[in-house]
Amino acid sequence: MFSSGNVTARVFERQIRTAPRGATVNRARNFYENLVPSFTLYDVECPDHCFRKFTEDGLFLISFSRNHQELIVYRPSWLTYTSDSDDTVPPLPRRASRFDSFFTQLYSVNLASANELICKDFFLYFHTHRFGLFAASTAQIHDSAPSPGAVPGVPSIDKITFILLRLDDGVILDERVFLHDFVNLAYNMGVFLYDDLLAILSLRYQKIHLLQIRDSGHLVDARAIGYFCREDDELFLNSNSQAMMTQDKNKQQSLSGNREDDAENNGLHHSQPNPENSFLSGIKQRLLSFIFREIWNEESDNTLRVQSLKKKFYFHFQDYVDLIIWKVQFLDRHHLLIKFGSVDGGVGRNADHLSAFFAVYNMETTDIVAFYQNSAEDLYQLFEQFSDHFTVSSSSPFMNFVTSHSNSVHALEQLKYMKNKANSFSQFVKKMLVSLPFSCQSQSPSPYFDQSLFRFDEKLISAADRHRQSSDNPIKFISRRQPQTLKFKIKPGPECGSADGRSKKICSFLFHPHLPLAISIQQTLFMPPSVVNIHFRR
Amino acid sequence: AKKTTRNSIAIPMASILGDLPSFDPHNFSQHRPSDPSNPSKMVPTTYHPTHNRTLPPPDQVITTEVKNILIRSFYQRAEEKLRPKRPASEHLVGEHGKKHFRAASSSSYTQGL
Repeated sequence: MFSSGNVTARVFERQIRTAPRGATVNRARNFYENLVPSFTLYDVECPDHCFRKFTEDGLFLISFSRNHQELIVYRPSWLTYTSDSDDTVPPLPRRASRFDSFFTQLYSVNLASANELICKDFFLYFHTHRFGLFAASTAQIHDSAPSPGAVPGVPSIDKITFILLRLDDGVILDERVFLHDFVNLAYNMGVFLYDDLLAILSLRYQKIHLLQIRDSGHLVDARAIGYFCREDDELFLNSNSQAMMTQDKNKQQSLSGNREDDAENNGLHHSQPNPENSFLSGIKQRLLSFIFREIWNEESDNTLRVQSLKKKFYFHFQDYVDLIIWKVQFLDRHHLLIKFGSVDGGVGRNADHLSAFFAVYNMETTDIVAFYQNSAEDLYQLFEQFSDHFTVSSSSPFMNFVTSHSNSVHALEQLKYMKNKANSFSQFVKKMLVSLPFSCQSQSPSPYFDQSLFRFDEKLISAADRHRQSSDNPIKFISRRQPQTLKFKIKPGPECGSADGRSKKICSFLFHPHLPLAISIQQTLFMPPSVVNIHFRR
Repeated sequence: AKKTTRNSIAIPMASILGDLPSFDPHNFSQHRPSDPSNPSKMVPTTYHPTHNRTLPPPDQVITTEVKNILIRSFYQRAEEKLRPKRPASEHLVGEHGKKHFRAASSSSYTQGL
């Protein structure tokens, strides 16, 4: 969008010419080709904390203490120093190689009590009011005693506390506790934030808790979808079940003689019908009736309809009934994308080979709008074309420019290359749809990950905030524009390479959203002290 | 469309630009600054439609669609599926002129269960 690559020429050009319509941010991002974090300070002196992430507006750096009980928040600043040297690039002072030259500690707050630990992979940022959502939990119990309403096979955690904190000053605003429940906290998988709405999926009780974050900082319960779909369902069912209970008591007294016959014929039923268990949960009913109607409408002939239903619906009925909700995300304020699967894959991460289903659920009308299997080409087409609408971050302005294959030609080329290379299209579709529903706030908005500006090896570094295998070679960021030169390199390892080549190292990268500043943290798997490097533009 | 125009002659126009310098002194030589006592009589060419086929309905209100394009696609595909299948002869051209994945999706439920 600029006719020259030179930064001064670009600044002059910016004075006299506006950007193409709708491309002001994209043009402003072009300046990141000129201002790159090319200088590295290796192994800076820094406190031994687990650094988690920069907030998406770049105002805070979130970190946790090693014992996972305290939250420490830093403000990113910049190294300032004076020098009386005559060189064009004066040498850095000794104190440059310290963490606190770049970051100022704002406060340290204790979030977890004695037997709780903060989940260091969980953090959600509410940017309008600069609130942060954290989670602290007690240990996970794998073979928990079955309790009414709980899905067997899902572990239980005695206490999960979600804490809403005002990041400006570290004041805890509100808390929400879940007892004897299970929420997938790792990498924000079980919680989704959209605007001011929070969806927390209780895997154990198969409920989607919707909470609203108020301006005052209170967490208010809005709805719980699962057994009941509308707010007044519970009232209705309770009033009905009262009537049914009295009827059943009368029936049982007259049928007591035949109970043994009943038990023989209906081995599956309990001897005492429980009003609660005789209904499938609300959302399951919506799902089954939607599948039924879809199959019904496929054929116009009644005999064909019944045949089709037998083959596609009744044959698999128990499988459909046994489905549990794995993951949830918002598509907009009224629609949820829900992933269903079997009990085995709900908690573990290696569920890729199992069958899964996606349903679009309208919370206002409590209707299921669409239902797809995870190998559906239809859904893949939507994923390919409208991927940005799946990774919706509502009103957050910073996250709208994260590269995806729907907004970048280069990412789309890569996707199509993988598609053509794949042996089986349905396997490819399954592999791609594993990333749905998306986890909230899991990508860095840094312009250095913008694929229209830079080309880099996605296996070594990417916008997703996950640990990676560390390599001794530096990671190159190559410009996409002509000439395709190397713009800068990030080397996470120590300056002279590692002495011990055998120990496996993992590294994580934290890029500041808009400053040319990045932190790389390299740690060996079993030894706690990690090496922290700061990459910045000198 | 009908065109109404006056005969074109060099017509003096109000000089909003004033006396700006020009690269070639012969540029703008025919341009005479207007005399406020003698206002310009030029009427710009106007075009009037000769039919009313393109008039909007009088009570039309244009608003932004609340549902984003992804959700609209979900609803659209759901509506297509819920409509019962018609015999092949009626389906010479697809509704929106694009291909349907119907055959693939209806059999996809039975895979892998």
